[in-house]
Amino acid sequence: MSMAGGFLGGAHDRLLPASIPFRFFLSAAGFQVLAWAALLVAAGEVPGFRGGTGPVLAAIHLLTLGVLAMTAIGASLQLFPVVTRRALTRHWPGHLVFALMLVGVSLLCWGMGAHRIAAMQLGAALTGTGLAGFALVTAGNLRGASAIPAVAAHGWLAMASLLVVAGLGVLLVWDFADGFLAGHGAIATLHLVLAIFGFMGLLAFGLSLVLIPMFALSRSLPKGPDWGQLALVALALVLVAASNLPGASWLFWPALAAGLGAAGLHLWLMATTMKRRMRKRLGLSFRLIRASWGLLVLGLLLIAAWGAGAPIPNAPALIVFVLLAGWLLTFLCGVLQRILPFLASMHAAGKSGLPPLLSDLAGEGPLNLHASCHFPALVLCAAGILLDQPMLIRLGAALGVVGAAGFAVFALRIAAKLRRTVPAG
Amino acid sequence: MNDDAPGVSWQAEDGLHVDTRGLAPPDPLIAVLWHLSQPGQEGPVIAHFDRNPVHLYAELERLGWGHEPAEPGPDVVTLVLRPIE
Repeated sequence: MSMAGGFLGGAHDRLLPASIPFRFFLSAAGFQVLAWAALLVAAGEVPGFRGGTGPVLAAIHLLTLGVLAMTAIGASLQLFPVVTRRALTRHWPGHLVFALMLVGVSLLCWGMGAHRIAAMQLGAALTGTGLAGFALVTAGNLRGASAIPAVAAHGWLAMASLLVVAGLGVLLVWDFADGFLAGHGAIATLHLVLAIFGFMGLLAFGLSLVLIPMFALSRSLPKGPDWGQLALVALALVLVAASNLPGASWLFWPALAAGLGAAGLHLWLMATTMKRRMRKRLGLSFRLIRASWGLLVLGLLLIAAWGAGAPIPNAPALIVFVLLAGWLLTFLCGVLQRILPFLASMHAAGKSGLPPLLSDLAGEGPLNLHASCHFPALVLCAAGILLDQPMLIRLGAALGVVGAAGFAVFALRIAAKLRRTVPAG
Repeated sequence: MNDDAPGVSWQAEDGLHVDTRGLAPPDPLIAVLWHLSQPGQEGPVIAHFDRNPVHLYAELERLGWGHEPAEPGPDVVTLVLRPIE
């Protein structure tokens, strides 16, 4: 082994070929443009949306499956082996999951938008298989994550939630054709809650325990509260599921209390990271991440107000928008701004011996464009839903398209620079 | 180990050794940066890792420290860190 090889021995060996995670990230960047575009088309139906096929449902799934799940899969496949120090020995599952997700999500969302049941069914079957494959691969990774037990436990529960979400999703799609479910609406709500808080929320809470201290240069977080936030999320999910039973709707309130408690503990952990950080200037990415924390709280408070009977116009659509586009999409864009250059630098290090500086890989212009469009887009769309003004939603969605295009340019630039450095795997 | 920095450190004839092996991320990075930031620290600092500390290099450049690899051993990556003159 050469000096450079020995020097690099370890992390690079545990990296997948760059093409595997980056194809997920680039697809997610493309789906983000499509999600905002679908919202633009669907603007008139958004405020009063209560379910059913059409462009609103397509927009929701372009965001949840196309952007959020695709990114979560790419990040998990790449980061867990590095953190657990166990290489993924086979690459074909990553290729297969990607193919299933790309084709499945495209078909599903087109079918939803165009009211084509057969396309939805095929898309749902392919997507469900892809998600199950991802859960299996991640389970293999998590078995070796003994150094970060709390993060791994978040991952296990997120994967369990994902399997339930995917199963319910397939059922709901088939029910559009056959109408065999007695409580389609209640099951759809459970599907949505588990997707937002169970799958994506737990991954965001768990990976934040490692990623946010790493980005901010802060010591690993105190043990205890991390398990506390996990237990409270798990309790909230169980109570939400149980509240669908006859006569158990009152469980909504303890579920919400547990959810607020989990969010409170998470924000306390993140605040601790911020207080102890060695990096003083955190940059644009942390403006997005900090805003996402505020939007999580806003989303939960809106749920509480709605549950208490406060007269919030179009509350269900507003709450879903604040949590999906506000909390999760904003958080994910902030994290991706740091992860993409970081992963690129790790891959480039394998080729040349030492990694290039992150600042050499990331362009700031497209990210500034993204941020300057993303926040006004959120405000305009939320205002449009609240005031029942589709024109405001169209304006916000148009800004969202421009911002998402900026983000896609950022991701493409990094991929192009990496391609010049590292041959495709 | 001390309360401020994770990991183990000791002073030897060839410099200050910082052993971060076995630490979960991001503590290896934090341990090295904490020692480099101490008043009067002029190096060399010999840092031991169980993985290539890819996140560290940009921070070293920002702080004005250089790095060179020591002879590799099994399951250990060792860097010798010195201030750039």
